[in-house]
Amino acid sequence: MLQRSIKLASCLVLMAGLFSTTVVAEEHTAAEREFTLKVLPLLKQKCQGCHGGDASDIKGEFSVLDREHLLSGGESGEAAVIPGQPEEGTLLPALRWESWEMPPKENDRLTDEEIAVIERWIKAGAPWPDEATRQKISEAEWNVESNEDGRMVRTSGGTSEEWTNRRYEPNDLWAFEPVRKREELLPGDHKLAEAIDIFIEHSLKEADLEPAAAASPRALLRRATFDLHGLPPTPEEVDAFETAWKADPEQAWSDLIGRLLASPRYGERWGRHWLDVTRYADTGGMSNDYERSNMWRYRDYVIRSFNEDKPYNEFVVEQLAGDELADQSVRERTGGSMKEIHQTQLNGDYTREEAEMIVATGFLRLGPWDNAMIEADEARQIYLDDVVNITGQTFLAQTLRCCKCHDHKFDPIPTRDYYRMYSAFSTTHMAERPVPLLPEENTEEFEDGRAHVQRMLDFAKSERNKLIDKQEAAARVWFEERGLPYKDENARKDLPDEEKPPRHVGLDHVEQGQLKVREQDVWIWTRRLERYEPMAQSVYNAEAATLAWNGARKLRIDRKTQPKEKLVNYILTGGALTATGDEVLPGVLSVLGLPVNVSAPDPYLTTSSPDGRRLDLARWIANEDNALTTRSIVNRIWQFHFGTGLAANSNNFGAKGARPSHPELLDYLADDFVDHGWTFKRLHRQIMLSDAYRRGTVPVDAEKVAEADPNNRLLSYFPRRRLSAEELRDGILAITGELQHCDGGLPVKPEINMEVALQPRMIQFSLAPAYQPSPTPELRNRRTVYAYHVRGQSDPFMELFNQPNPNESCELRETAAVTPQVFTLLNSDMINDRAIALALRLQREEESITDQIDRAFRLVFGRHATAQEKSWMTSYVTDMQKYHEGISPKPVEYPTEITRSLVEEFSGEPFEYTEILPVFERYEADPKAADVSPETRALADFCLLLLNTNEFMYVE
Amino acid sequence: MFDKISRREALYGLGASLGSVALSSLLSSEAKAASESPLAPKAPGRPGRAKNVIMLFMEGGPGQMDTFDPKPELTRLHKSESKLSAGQEKGFKFFVGSPFGFRKVGDTGIDMCNQWKYLADPFIANEFCNFRGCQAESLNHPEALFHMNTGSRLGGDPAVGAWATYGLGTENQNLPGYVVMTELALPQGGPTNWSNGFLPPHYQGTRLRPEGSPILDLVPPQYKSMAHQRRALNELSRMNANYQNSLGIEDQKLGARMDSYELAFRMQTEVPDVIDLSQETAATIDMYGLNDTETSTFGRQCLMARRLVESGVRFVQIFSGGWDSHDYLERGHSSRIKSVDKPMAALIRDLKLRGLLEDTLVIWTGEFGRTPDNNKRGGVYSLGRGHNNQAMTMMLAGGGVKPGIVGATDELGSSAVECVHPIRDLHVTLLHLLGLDDNKLTYFHAGRFKQLSQFGGEIIPEMLA
Repeated sequence: MLQRSIKLASCLVLMAGLFSTTVVAEEHTAAEREFTLKVLPLLKQKCQGCHGGDASDIKGEFSVLDREHLLSGGESGEAAVIPGQPEEGTLLPALRWESWEMPPKENDRLTDEEIAVIERWIKAGAPWPDEATRQKISEAEWNVESNEDGRMVRTSGGTSEEWTNRRYEPNDLWAFEPVRKREELLPGDHKLAEAIDIFIEHSLKEADLEPAAAASPRALLRRATFDLHGLPPTPEEVDAFETAWKADPEQAWSDLIGRLLASPRYGERWGRHWLDVTRYADTGGMSNDYERSNMWRYRDYVIRSFNEDKPYNEFVVEQLAGDELADQSVRERTGGSMKEIHQTQLNGDYTREEAEMIVATGFLRLGPWDNAMIEADEARQIYLDDVVNITGQTFLAQTLRCCKCHDHKFDPIPTRDYYRMYSAFSTTHMAERPVPLLPEENTEEFEDGRAHVQRMLDFAKSERNKLIDKQEAAARVWFEERGLPYKDENARKDLPDEEKPPRHVGLDHVEQGQLKVREQDVWIWTRRLERYEPMAQSVYNAEAATLAWNGARKLRIDRKTQPKEKLVNYILTGGALTATGDEVLPGVLSVLGLPVNVSAPDPYLTTSSPDGRRLDLARWIANEDNALTTRSIVNRIWQFHFGTGLAANSNNFGAKGARPSHPELLDYLADDFVDHGWTFKRLHRQIMLSDAYRRGTVPVDAEKVAEADPNNRLLSYFPRRRLSAEELRDGILAITGELQHCDGGLPVKPEINMEVALQPRMIQFSLAPAYQPSPTPELRNRRTVYAYHVRGQSDPFMELFNQPNPNESCELRETAAVTPQVFTLLNSDMINDRAIALALRLQREEESITDQIDRAFRLVFGRHATAQEKSWMTSYVTDMQKYHEGISPKPVEYPTEITRSLVEEFSGEPFEYTEILPVFERYEADPKAADVSPETRALADFCLLLLNTNEFMYVE
Repeated sequence: MFDKISRREALYGLGASLGSVALSSLLSSEAKAASESPLAPKAPGRPGRAKNVIMLFMEGGPGQMDTFDPKPELTRLHKSESKLSAGQEKGFKFFVGSPFGFRKVGDTGIDMCNQWKYLADPFIANEFCNFRGCQAESLNHPEALFHMNTGSRLGGDPAVGAWATYGLGTENQNLPGYVVMTELALPQGGPTNWSNGFLPPHYQGTRLRPEGSPILDLVPPQYKSMAHQRRALNELSRMNANYQNSLGIEDQKLGARMDSYELAFRMQTEVPDVIDLSQETAATIDMYGLNDTETSTFGRQCLMARRLVESGVRFVQIFSGGWDSHDYLERGHSSRIKSVDKPMAALIRDLKLRGLLEDTLVIWTGEFGRTPDNNKRGGVYSLGRGHNNQAMTMMLAGGGVKPGIVGATDELGSSAVECVHPIRDLHVTLLHLLGLDDNKLTYFHAGRFKQLSQFGGEIIPEMLA
C-alpha cells in the first residue's frame, strides 16, 4: 500500500510537469497558475502567521506578503528568493530545514512535494500575478472537478472560497466514498469467511509472504474463549474441545463459536469494548467527581444489546435519540399532545420498551462534566462540544474537534458542518430522569445498599448537627450579651457585621473545617440515595434551561425556563463564544453527499424544531448508505479480533488516520454487514471461521516478515496479544474458582489496594469519602465490567494494566510492559489473595503435590505440566514449605473507621476528622496468609508464579 | 526499518498504529534500536542549561500580593468597595490589603513579604527570578492545575515531566524518571496531573507515597523475604525462558516483560535506599525543618527531591496544598509560607553547595494567582481572595534562569501588565532550558504532531541567564 502510494505520488509530479508545458499558450503562464493555486496558499497558510499576517509583529523583519519582500529578504539582508535561481536565496534551505527550519512546528512542516512546487515557481522566475489575474485563474480552476492536483469535494462550504474549492488527494478520501458492492469487489458466490481469506491471501501473495500454519486446537480454544468471553477455557472445556476436534475439526470449531456467542459472557466482553469507545464511568469527574448513580443501567443496556445481537443501526439510533423514540411512542399510545409527553417525562410513566430507549441515551451523558466555577454558557459549550466529538469518533470515525475552531485542515469537513451537528444537539439538555426499572434489571442489592448509604448519611448529619448546635449556642450567648433577640444563621445573614456574631462563632478552625466536610458529606450521601431510585442518566429537549452554579450536583428536567429569544446557532470562529460567524441550522456532515431529507432545499439539514433533531441525525448516521458508519463498525469488530483494524485508527478515518491495509475487504465486510441485518454475531462467526483468524502466532519466515511487513498488517500470522486488565482480573478469578457471575445491576466494589482505597483525595471544598469495598466475596468477585468506575480514583491494578482513562475515547488499548506492573503482580494483596485462593482450590481438588501442580497448569494454561516442569515445581513447592514453616504472617485487620487529615482549604491550617467504614464491621474477607497453613502458602507461591508467566499473560 | 521511506510517509501512511513506539525520537537523526529502553538517557537537540527539574507546586493558588509582589495601593484601599471584574465572585466586593509587610532582599532587590524568613537570606534570595507576567486561563482548580501541569485545561494530555523524560530519558534506570510527591491528599484532578497522556506509559509520573509503601506494592508482603522474592524470580525466569524456547521465536514483547521483572527487583532495593533519610547528617535534617511539625512534611519531600535528583531522576514534582485562601488569609498564608519557607531555602542552599543548582531548575508556582478583592461570605467581610487567572507570581532558581524580577502586575495586582505570557510560553521556556525545542519535541497522535504547548509558544527571553 505504502509503495503503491509513493509510486502514485511520483506519477503525479510527473504529470504536473507535463501539464505545465502544455498550457503556456493560455493567457497566463503555468507558473502564474501554479503560484495562484499552490504557492500563494502555502505562503498564506504556513508563513504569514509570523511573517506578514500581523503588521505590528513581523518575525525576523521578513514578510511574505508580496514579491518585493521575498526578493529583499529579512533582517539577515540576504534575498529569500532570487527569481530563476532556486539554488540561491534563503527561502528553500529554510523550508527544507537545512538552515532556519521553517515553519518551525513539526506539524506545519512542508512536504517534499510542497517544497518542489515552490522550487519550480522560483525557477520559472517567481511570477506574482495581480489579484484580478489570480481570481480569474482560481475561478477557471474551480470549474474543473478533478485534475492532476486532486479532486474537489462538494460540501456545505468552508469559511473561505479557497477552502471550499480546494482539492484532495483521492487516496485520502477513501472513507467518504460510497461502500463498493460485494459483486464489484469479488465476483462469484462466496461465504464471507472465504471472501476474507481471498482478500488476505491475495495481499500476502503480492508481498510474497507465506501464511503461518494453523494454530493448535488448544491455542485456538484459548484464543476464541478469551476473544469472545474475556475468560480462559476450563480444563473440562479443553478436554471436550480436543475430543470434538479429533472427530471433526471444522464442526468442533463451528460449534465452539456458536457456544461462545450464545453465552451471556459474550456481551460482558464485547460490551466492554463499546464502553471503552464511549468512555463509561460511574462518576462525572472534574472538581467534584459527582456520582452518576444510575449510569449502570446504560452499561447493562450495552451488554444486553450485544447478547441479544441487536442490529447495529438500532443500537445507534437508540443511544443518540432513544428518548425521542420514547416520546413518539408516548404520543402514539396516548394520542397525546406535547403536554402529555412532557407530563410523562416528569412522572416517568413509561412502558418497558420506552424505558429501555431512554436508558440507551446514557451515551449522551458519558463525558466528564462539571460546571463548578465555569460560566453557564461556557459550561454548556463544553457539553455540546463533547457530545459532537464523541458522536463523531464513536459512530463516524471522525475526530471533529479540529472543526470547532476552523475548517478541517486535511479532511473535507467545514466548520459549518461541525456547528450544524452542534446545533442538532443544541436543544439537548442533561437530566436524571424518572424511568421505571426493567424486569431484567438486577435490583438485588438495593436494600442492603440503601441501608449502608443511609447509615453514612445519618452519621454525616449527626456530626454536622453537633457542630451547628455548638455554633448556635455561641451565637445565642453573643445575642444575649448584647440584649438582642436570637436570630438563626439564615435570618442574620444580611445584617451588618456589628449586629451579628462573627461567622463560625464558637467554632475553632478545626471545627470549622469539620463542619465543611460534614456538610459536603450530607450532600454526597443524600445524592447517593438516588442509586436506589428508578432513575436514568439521560437527556431531554428544550429550547432553554437554567443551570445552577453547582449544576452537576442535580440535573433535572427544567420546564420552567422560557427561552428569552429564539434559539439560534452560529459558527463560532476559533471556538470562541463571542466570535459569532454565519448562522447555522441543525444538520449533518455534508461530505458524504448523503441527504437527511432528499426533497429539502438543503438536503443536509435536519428538522429545526426543538424535538426530532437528534433523531434525524441518528437516522442519518444509521442509514445503510452512510459509508463512515458501516466501515467504522466493521473495522472496530475486525480490530478487536485481530488487535489492529483494517484501518488502524478506528476513531479517525480522515487523511491523517491510517489508510486501510485491505480497502476492498473493508468494503466487502461493510456491504455484507448491512445486507445481513447489521448483526454482530454473524460477523464474528464469519471472521472466526476464516483461515486468517485460525493461523498460528509464529511466522514462517520471521526475518522476511520483519522486513516486508513489520507490523503484520497483512496478517501472515496471528498477532500474539497481552491480556487486557479485565481479562487478567476476571481470568484469574475464574482460575481460582472465585468468579461470580451476575445479571448486572448496581456497580460492585472489588477490593482494591487498601492504601488507595483510603487515600484522601480532594474534591471541591472537601475530601471525597473513602472507598469501601463490597462486603462479601459474592459481590466483590464479579466481573470487572460491573465494578464501580470512579473517574478520580481508578483501581491501581486495572490502571497499571492499561484500563483506559474514561475522559477520552479509547480506540485501542495500550499494552506496554512497565515496571509497576511487576510490583502489583507479585506483591499486591489482590494477587496474593488470589494465589492463596488457587492454592486452596488445588488442595480441595487434588491430594498429591504433583497432581496439584498438574491441575494448576491445566487451570492456568489449559495444558498438562511436562515431567520437567513437575520436577522443577515440586522442588520449588517443597523448598517453600520449609521457608514458610518458620514464619507466621500477621493477620490482616480492616479498620472500621479512619482518621483523615486535611489542610483546611480556606485557612491553610490542618485539621482531622473521623470517617466511619461500616462495611468492615460485617466484612467477609478472603482467606489471607495468616489464615492458611505453611503448605498452602508454599503452594500459593507456586500459583503466584504461574499467574506471572508470559504463557498466562499472552494469548497465542 | 524506516530508512527506505520518508518519516512523514511512514507516519501518515501507518498512522498511530505504531502508537507504542516513540516514533518522533526513534526516527530522529540518530535512529535507535527499537529494543533500547524508552527511558535511556538521550542528548537534547542542543545543550541545555538545566538537566533536572524540581517543581514545587503550591496547590490552591498563592496570592501574589501576599508573597512576592507588594501592593501598597491595596493596603490603602482595604475594605473599600471594588468594581473589578476579575475572578468568579459576584455581587458586592471589597478590596483586601495584604496582612503582611514587605521588604526588598538580596542583591537583586526582589520583594518578599515578612513571612519569608529563610528564603530572604541573600545566599538564597540572590538565586531567584520572580516572574510576574504569567497568566493562567482557567478559574477553577482542576482545569488550572491541568493547564499548568499538562498544557491543556481538559486534562489527559502528557504532563510537563512526561514530556521532559520523553525528550531526555533519565540517568538512573533503576529509579523512575519522573517522580511526584503529594501530601496525604491528592490534589484535585489526581493522577491526571502527572499522566503520560498519549505518550507511552513509561513516561508517567511515579508517585512516591508519603506514608506506607513509597511506591504501591514495591515490596513483598511482610512474610516474604527478599531472598524468597529472588528465588521466585529465578523460577519465573526459568518458566519464561522455557516458554520462549517452546515458541521457537524471539518476541521482543515477551523479552521486555522478562526484563521488567529484573528492573523491578533492582528498584526494590534502590528506591528504599534513595528515600532513606538516615544517611543524612543531623545538620541537614535540621536545615530542611524535619524536626519541626510545621515544616517536616514539605522538608522531607524537599530533601527527598535533592536525593532523587542527585541519584539521576530527571523530573521531581512536589504538590503542597492549602493555598486557597478565600477567607482567613492572614492565618492561611502565614501558615502555608511557614511550612515551605525553611525547607525551600534549605533545598536551594543544599543544591548550591553541592554544585547541583546550576543543572537543576527549581520552580515554585501555583495554578493561578489571587484577586485583590473578595466578596462577603456568610454576610461577613471575609478577609481572603478569589481565584485570578490574569495575574500570579512564581519563583525560579538555578538551571539557567536569570535572577531578578521579570514582568509586572498593575498597582492592585489584578492583572499582569508587563512581560505578559500565557502558560504555554512558560512551558516552552522550561523545555528550552532543558535543551528541548517545544516545536520539535512532538509525538504523533490522533492525526497530528502534538506538543506540550499545544500549538506552539514563545520563549520568554527575559528569564534566561
